[in-house]
Amino acid sequence: MSKNSTMRDSKINSNHLNILIIDDNEQITKMITTFLELKNHNCRVANDGKQGLALIQENKHDVVLLDLAMPEFDGYAVIKALENNDMLKNNKIIVFTASTITQDELEELVSRGVTSYILKPIDIDLLLSKIIESATS
Amino acid sequence: MTIESLVENMFELDNPINELNRLLIKYDLTPNQAKVYLYLSKMGIKTASEVSKSLKIPRTETYHLLSTLQQKGIIFSVFGKPTKFNAVGIDESIAILINNEKNRINELETGKESIIKLWKLIPKYSGNKEKSDENKFQTLQGRNSILVKLEQMIKESSENILVLGTESDFKKFYYTDFTNLLQKTKSELRILTDYSNKGTHIFEDVPAKKIKKLDDKNREDFCFIIKDDSEVIFFVSNSEVKDMMALWTDSKTFVTTLRSLFSLIWKKAHHIDESNAESLLGSEITYEHRLREIEQEKLILNYLQKNFKLSENKLGARK
Repeated sequence: MSKNSTMRDSKINSNHLNILIIDDNEQITKMITTFLELKNHNCRVANDGKQGLALIQENKHDVVLLDLAMPEFDGYAVIKALENNDMLKNNKIIVFTASTITQDELEELVSRGVTSYILKPIDIDLLLSKIIESATS
Repeated sequence: MTIESLVENMFELDNPINELNRLLIKYDLTPNQAKVYLYLSKMGIKTASEVSKSLKIPRTETYHLLSTLQQKGIIFSVFGKPTKFNAVGIDESIAILINNEKNRINELETGKESIIKLWKLIPKYSGNKEKSDENKFQTLQGRNSILVKLEQMIKESSENILVLGTESDFKKFYYTDFTNLLQKTKSELRILTDYSNKGTHIFEDVPAKKIKKLDDKNREDFCFIIKDDSEVIFFVSNSEVKDMMALWTDSKTFVTTLRSLFSLIWKKAHHIDESNAESLLGSEITYEHRLREIEQEKLILNYLQKNFKLSENKLGARK
């Protein structure tokens, strides 16, 4: 684990998380941001994979909600890029997807270093508890 | 320096005349025949001696060249002493040369049946019985011989045709029957090729569902076409050989190996009309995926509405 991420882990406050949302669906990102900010968490949003990857590299977040299906540079490409730069395991990445994806494929992503996954649709309170659980794991 | 000497020098320098010379050779002219024709076509009426001197070709050979060109119909002689020669116009000459070639092919086609008939009359003396299961190999050199084999393979195919190679590999077959035959084939066609979104493509008339994109990492220096799992033509790149080269074989081992390689790359490759996510997740992304997203939006919206109402009610109660 990198020095930066170890330092950040020690500061994690589950009541006030820095969350990065990478999803091309602007309605969803707006609504989740509103919800999470109501719960006193900080949110940053990227509406495509490339922008998301740049924000991940800034290393200012406790957890990343990553959509898989995005046009052009999708969630898989983000995971692959992080993997290639040895950054996947140093980041708390939650795959957040509405895609038809098998359990095996999801487990394979976890085995590669993704922290966890959430399938849409999910109850909003459950989403929050999953985010906190992943951030503090 | 006179105009004539300038034109004469053109044959010695690196200029369009040399390119023209090279092109005329394709119309069944020898390099010196092309040279003499071009000389006369640009210089006008000349004697054999003048041609010989200007082009530095021995006089006896020059007479022979002039006679052949006359027989071909692209130069003519002018009566007088000594005899002078002049060239037929370039348009007409090219048409004549094309017709000569067409007539030659017609003659060859007419002669085919006679040859076979005569061949059958001669008894076979070989004592060895040919084994039908023997692996056959054939080395093909030059675009035309490769094209003939390719066309034969596509026409004879009844099951499947698998094509792997970059557009640059196949661009040599632009304006040939190769792509037309691929389009018309009733066999199952699969093409693995590089495919940028820019420009025109040699396979652009082939339905997109039959083409998958060859990834950069798989864009190796190989190119092959498999017919019905029984024959393969494999292009050989050799920088020392100017002509295209290919190896054709019906070797089961060779065909199976390349077939496996093709299947492996095909399985991992994406169709050219798919986005990255679609190809990884399947076509269900369009409808089911969207439904789940809407459901998610609804869940969050309900939550937010409920909470905002509660807050508003609280505020209202305070007022």
